[in-house]
Amino acid sequence: MRQRLALVLVALAAFLAVLGVMLRVWVYPNVVAVPDNQYQAVVLEAKDATLIDYSSMTAVPHQHVTIVETLKGDAAAAQAEKKRTGRDVVVWDALSYILGNDGKRLSAIPEIYPFDAHTQDPVHCCGENVDGQTVSRVGIEYKFPFDTQPHDYQYFDPQTRTAAPIHYKGTTTLDGLIVYYFEQTIPWTQVPFPKAMPAGVAITPDQIDKLGYQRWYTTVRKFWVDPVTGAPINGEEVHDEQLRMPPSSGMAPVTIFSGDVKIRPDYQAATVALVKKERALLLMLRDYLPLGLPLSGLVALALAFVVEGRARRRTAGGTPYGGAAPGSVPDADEDGGAGDVASAQGAPAAPL
Amino acid sequence: MRALIAAAVGAAVAVVVALVAVPLADQNGPTTAKPLLTSAPAHP
Repeated sequence: MRQRLALVLVALAAFLAVLGVMLRVWVYPNVVAVPDNQYQAVVLEAKDATLIDYSSMTAVPHQHVTIVETLKGDAAAAQAEKKRTGRDVVVWDALSYILGNDGKRLSAIPEIYPFDAHTQDPVHCCGENVDGQTVSRVGIEYKFPFDTQPHDYQYFDPQTRTAAPIHYKGTTTLDGLIVYYFEQTIPWTQVPFPKAMPAGVAITPDQIDKLGYQRWYTTVRKFWVDPVTGAPINGEEVHDEQLRMPPSSGMAPVTIFSGDVKIRPDYQAATVALVKKERALLLMLRDYLPLGLPLSGLVALALAFVVEGRARRRTAGGTPYGGAAPGSVPDADEDGGAGDVASAQGAPAAPL
Repeated sequence: MRALIAAAVGAAVAVVVALVAVPLADQNGPTTAKPLLTSAPAHP
C-alpha cells in the first residue's frame, strides 16, 4: 500500500510541476484576453477650462467642461472576424464627447478600434475609423498590453490620426498599486474639425475648411498604468486647441478649448477597484500558480521518497530473511510484513 | 520503472488539463456589451 501511495505521490508531483509550467506558457497567453463584450465609460473633467463661443468667436475662460469617453465592445463584429480569421479580436465602438457648462454636447469624435484581444496589436478590419475617416492604426490606444513593460510604446492619437511614442517616465505607487507612468506630447499639429459641430452652430466642417479656418491642437497625455492588466488607473491631458484664421485675415488665433482634463475621482476609484480584482486573477495565472504548483510538486516528490523509503526499510527489516516475522500477521500495509498491527499472539510489531 | 510511468501519467494528465482549460475558458459570452458600472453614461 505504501509503495502504491509513493507512486501516486510521484504522479501528483509530475502533474503539479507540468501543470504549473503549462499555465505559464500555454494557458496564460491563450486565456488572458480583453473581453469582446464589455461596455466601459470614463468621465473626465476640466475645472477651469477655456472654451470658444462660436457666436462671438471669442474664448470664454473659467468653464467647467466634462469629457465622456465610452468604449462599447462590438461582440458581433469581433465574433464575425474570429470566424473569418480565427483570431481573437476586440472591436471597440468608442466615442469621446465634450459637454459644456450647460450640459450641451460641444463636440464628439466616434471611433471604431479593432485590436488583438491578447496582444493588443492593431487589427485592420471591421470598419476601422476615426470620425468616419478610414485609418490604419499603429500602436496602442486607450489601454496598454497585458504585462506592460517599462519602455516606450507607440500610442495612436485620434486627433492627428497618427501614432507617436508614449514615453515610460518611471514607476510610482498610486492607490496601493505599483504603476508605470507614461507621457506623450503631441506638438501643435493641424487636425480636422470634428464632423459633429456644437448645437446651434450653423456651419459645417467643410464650410469652415473653405473659409480657410484651421483647427490646431497640442496635448500632453499622461497615464498611470497597472503593468499586470495594462489598464490605466489614472489619466490626465493638458489639452489646447486653437482656431487659426487665414494669414490674410490678420486675426489672432482663438482658443477652441484649453484645459487640464482629469478623471473624475469616482470613476478613478471604480477603475482602481476593478483593476485590483482583475490583476489578482492575472497574477494567480501568471505568477502564483506557475510557481506554487511546481513547489507543491517538489513537496509531493519528497513525500514520495519518504513513503517509499519507509516501505523499503520495513520490507528489509521485517526478518533476517526479508519475509514476515514468524508469528506475525500481515498488517494493513502493502508489504506483507508486520507493521503497526500487533501479531495474533500479542508479540510486538517488528521494528521499522 | 513504475515511478517513471507514474510520472509520465501525471505529466500527461496535466497537459490534457491545460489543453482543455483554454477552450473552456474561451467560450464566448453574450454578444451585447454589458456596462461595468451601472452608473456609466450611455453610449449614444
